[in-house]
Amino acid sequence: MIPASFDYRRAHDLDEATRWLGELGPEAKVLAGGHSLIPLMRLRLAQPSALVDIGRVPGLDTIRVDGDRLRIGALVRHAALARSEVVRRALPLLAEMAAEVGDQQVRARGTLGGVIAHADPAGDYPTLALMLDAEIVTTHGSHPARDFFQHLFTTPLQPDEVIREVTFPVAAGPHRYIKFRRRRCDWAIVGAAVQQSDGGWRLGLTNCGPTPMRARAAEAALAEGRTMAEAALQAAEGLTPPSDLRASSDYRRHLARVLTRRALEQAAA
Amino acid sequence: MTTVGGRDEVQRSDASQLRVVGRPLPRTDAAEKIAGSTRYAADLALPAMLHTRLVRSTLPSARLVRRDTARARSLAGVVAVLLGEDVPHNEVWVDVPGQQTEVRALKARSQVLATGRVRYHGQPIALVVAESEDVLAEAEALVDVEYEELPGVFDPEEALGEEAPRVHEDGNLLAEWHIDSGDAATALERAPIVIEGQYRTQFVDHAYLEPEAGVAWLDDDGVITIRASTQVVEHFRDIAAILGVPQARIRVIAPYVGGGFGGKEDMTVEPYLALAVLRTGRPVRMVWTRQESLLARPKRHPMRLRYRTGAENDGTLVAQDIEILADTGAEAYLGALVLLYSSVTAAGPYRCPNVRVRARAVYTNHPPCSAMRGFGAMQVVFGCEAQIDELARRLQLTPDEIRRRNAIREGDRLPVGQQIVTPIWLGETIDQVLRAAGPRPEPSRPHCRVGRGIASNLQPYGRLVWLQDTAAAWIGFQFDGSVTLRCGVPDIGGGQAASLGQIAAEVLGVDPARVTVHFGDSARTPLAGTSTATRQLYMSGNAAHLAATRLRDQTLDAVAEAAGRARGALRLGPGGVEGGGEPIALPRALELVRGLGVPLEVLATFHGPRGRAVARDLAAERVFPDFTVGTHLADVEVDCDTGQIRVVRYLACHDVGRAINPQSVSGQICGGAAMGIGSALTEEIVLESGINLTAGFFQYRIPTALDLPDIEAIALESGAGMGPFGARGIGEPPIGPPAATIANAVRDAIGVRLTELPMTPERVLAAIRAQAHTDPPRPAPTGP
Repeated sequence: MIPASFDYRRAHDLDEATRWLGELGPEAKVLAGGHSLIPLMRLRLAQPSALVDIGRVPGLDTIRVDGDRLRIGALVRHAALARSEVVRRALPLLAEMAAEVGDQQVRARGTLGGVIAHADPAGDYPTLALMLDAEIVTTHGSHPARDFFQHLFTTPLQPDEVIREVTFPVAAGPHRYIKFRRRRCDWAIVGAAVQQSDGGWRLGLTNCGPTPMRARAAEAALAEGRTMAEAALQAAEGLTPPSDLRASSDYRRHLARVLTRRALEQAAA
Repeated sequence: MTTVGGRDEVQRSDASQLRVVGRPLPRTDAAEKIAGSTRYAADLALPAMLHTRLVRSTLPSARLVRRDTARARSLAGVVAVLLGEDVPHNEVWVDVPGQQTEVRALKARSQVLATGRVRYHGQPIALVVAESEDVLAEAEALVDVEYEELPGVFDPEEALGEEAPRVHEDGNLLAEWHIDSGDAATALERAPIVIEGQYRTQFVDHAYLEPEAGVAWLDDDGVITIRASTQVVEHFRDIAAILGVPQARIRVIAPYVGGGFGGKEDMTVEPYLALAVLRTGRPVRMVWTRQESLLARPKRHPMRLRYRTGAENDGTLVAQDIEILADTGAEAYLGALVLLYSSVTAAGPYRCPNVRVRARAVYTNHPPCSAMRGFGAMQVVFGCEAQIDELARRLQLTPDEIRRRNAIREGDRLPVGQQIVTPIWLGETIDQVLRAAGPRPEPSRPHCRVGRGIASNLQPYGRLVWLQDTAAAWIGFQFDGSVTLRCGVPDIGGGQAASLGQIAAEVLGVDPARVTVHFGDSARTPLAGTSTATRQLYMSGNAAHLAATRLRDQTLDAVAEAAGRARGALRLGPGGVEGGGEPIALPRALELVRGLGVPLEVLATFHGPRGRAVARDLAAERVFPDFTVGTHLADVEVDCDTGQIRVVRYLACHDVGRAINPQSVSGQICGGAAMGIGSALTEEIVLESGINLTAGFFQYRIPTALDLPDIEAIALESGAGMGPFGARGIGEPPIGPPAATIANAVRDAIGVRLTELPMTPERVLAAIRAQAHTDPPRPAPTGP
């Protein structure tokens, strides 16, 4: 289908982008890789009045380690994350996640900043950002991930606010991300991510609620010295995942437990 | 001369003598399709062309209180907005065979554009015609439709209730078929073993690559010409009736079709394109979005199947009692015929003396259901083959042994009464898949179990005999010895045109590259009927074979006379006319033929077997020309923690009679199996109170190449079919077994019978848990 008509502007830098976004108002959207926004526009589920394209803004596609933080520019594409030696050393879980986002075409164009800003609970990076206390650095300041994913597709980003980069803690210990899918290259029906860091386990869940989720009860059980299998039984504690065409809420809770156990066992193996 | 299809009349050749037929020649349409340069139906821009779009019902059951097009018409760029009242004859009447209401044969009515009420979500109400594609969506939104919601019925069982809302005035039962062969009730009482089961299949979409699309224009000859993606160019007659113009004033061209699978057997864009041309006089284009296609195009019938199967202790089948309830949705379309196919094939490819079938197709306020690959003969395989599998387990026979013991053979009769008149290689197909499969796989993880299953089927090829089917083909030599073949067959991607070229090249002794095939044009190619019912290779293949054979014979007769050679020595081959002396190059030979005034062309018509129409109580000497059988085998791995099924290995074997082009045959088998695996595991149109929740590929999940196992296709060549060179049809047959094959493999892996499609992980897990509550753990099951 053909999207509804819209205005298009290509920004040369982020100052220009925020200025334009301010002028154009809340109906304008930022275009980066376009792999969430454009499909929604083609289906006319999204009808922004204008797109401000930041795709050619320089300096937003860098990956670097800064002390104990890994800093990823908002325009870094999934494919670049997946093959980056820096990411593989500093936070291998992120590289593995990036290699499993969508399909080859999506990975070639889609960006980390886009996924974070879209705040789809079925997205993969939000889970990692939440569980590892990432920081979302924007034109207006910085948001800790725990305050960022407020609800389905809802963040504290202002209409004229653009993500510059996302910083993650360096963590190279045992880790694993498992997506349960009905089809290859699909969104996860449920995803479970585990990362050992500072001697403890961080456990995150994809698509188990209106935002990414942490399996805190299971984290606590592991901290108390329970076995992985015992802890994983608590992975769905307090969660009320959605029921939809792909899976019921109960089945998602079941998957959260199974996948958390498998991820822990495979990470530890 | 007329040739009637039957074993004796159809010429077959010794396979070892074949020069062109049987070779896996690259298809003439392959390179351009791969390059993306094929011009599909709507890939044609004409000067001053208009664009069109349908306004569709947003409710499944409602009275149309008001339809106001004023706002839409006033939008810049909108040329016209048509309503049902603007359609000269806004009614399409469909014969519902075998059914009677009082004194007249039942006919069902549907509207081109709904006027009084709508009966399903997505039903067309208005047609927007505009200068550009961009305007269409906005114009569509500006057509004001006011609805008064009416109670709907969304369950076929409920639809049969006295109090159920009526979808159509005559009641909700569209069609009913009975088969009573022998005495199933008594035989079941006496049978030492009785297996019972209930099974459910789902709404499935064709999901072809090319959606419904076309371009139409008023040609210089005054003919409304419609270039559409269709399986049936003969719809020109229906279009003429809707427009109220002579049939000769409508021409339908079917260029290469990007997938049909039965979804383009009924009309799609054609009447709307024709209406827009009639109204505006300008060229028009219509392309349905994927959302429209998924929303409102006829689907595969969901069926509820109840089977009881009785057997002797040695596994010999003695009785089958089968009830079928099909949800036919809101319009008749081909629902009664689909159900007829289900009824005739429900007992499977087995000998069984006592069979009772009770089948009903019921209207609901769901999207209409109609033709889809397998045409009703697919759903019943899921029930029948589950029963056969369970019977084998009960008797501790292997799944292959139970099938071999009961396999139908030449000379046997199907429950409907039709005798099988060609050799049936069912046992051979079972042997082949087992031999090729080798050892069973090992589980890849501790929480996984593996299993192997097989399932067999039979599928008719060729149309119902009372339709008095015919196909015509015209073949001519050009002066230089190249060959022109004209045949009205729509090429829907199965290699229909290329195969005809191969047949002609074989008979006329020419290089296949020297044959040009013109196809799919209702005005300029001889009509060859529909590309449906697995009939084109059989019908138009025989027509091309007949025409080529006559052309060869009249050519050689003339050359013998003109060159003074013995006729018996002459043949057509790569050297031209060969035998009885130096070869005569074809152009020279054709000069001799022309010198005698003998034509260089032949028009021939092939007639399928004829028969009488059936009544509701089905009993007939012949219903279909013939059948294709096959067996599939799957190795699956089931993740017992998540319920996920992974198909590890898939083999599909059919007796294709003769593979005219083995590449095309393999493509049909692999494609059918892939489509069947999608139905088995992921695909389902989901409706909630008649609202389609799966009108996009986000929601309706077809498997991708990455999700499918390598499918190994095995084509057996009995040479015993009724098509040219002993070919059988292979378009539909491979869709039959996959769901049952996988269900049987899952049963083997985890000891649980899945009875509902698709077999989602959640359903598998629920079945595992239900069993865990009732049964003690079982030993590892064994299969073939």
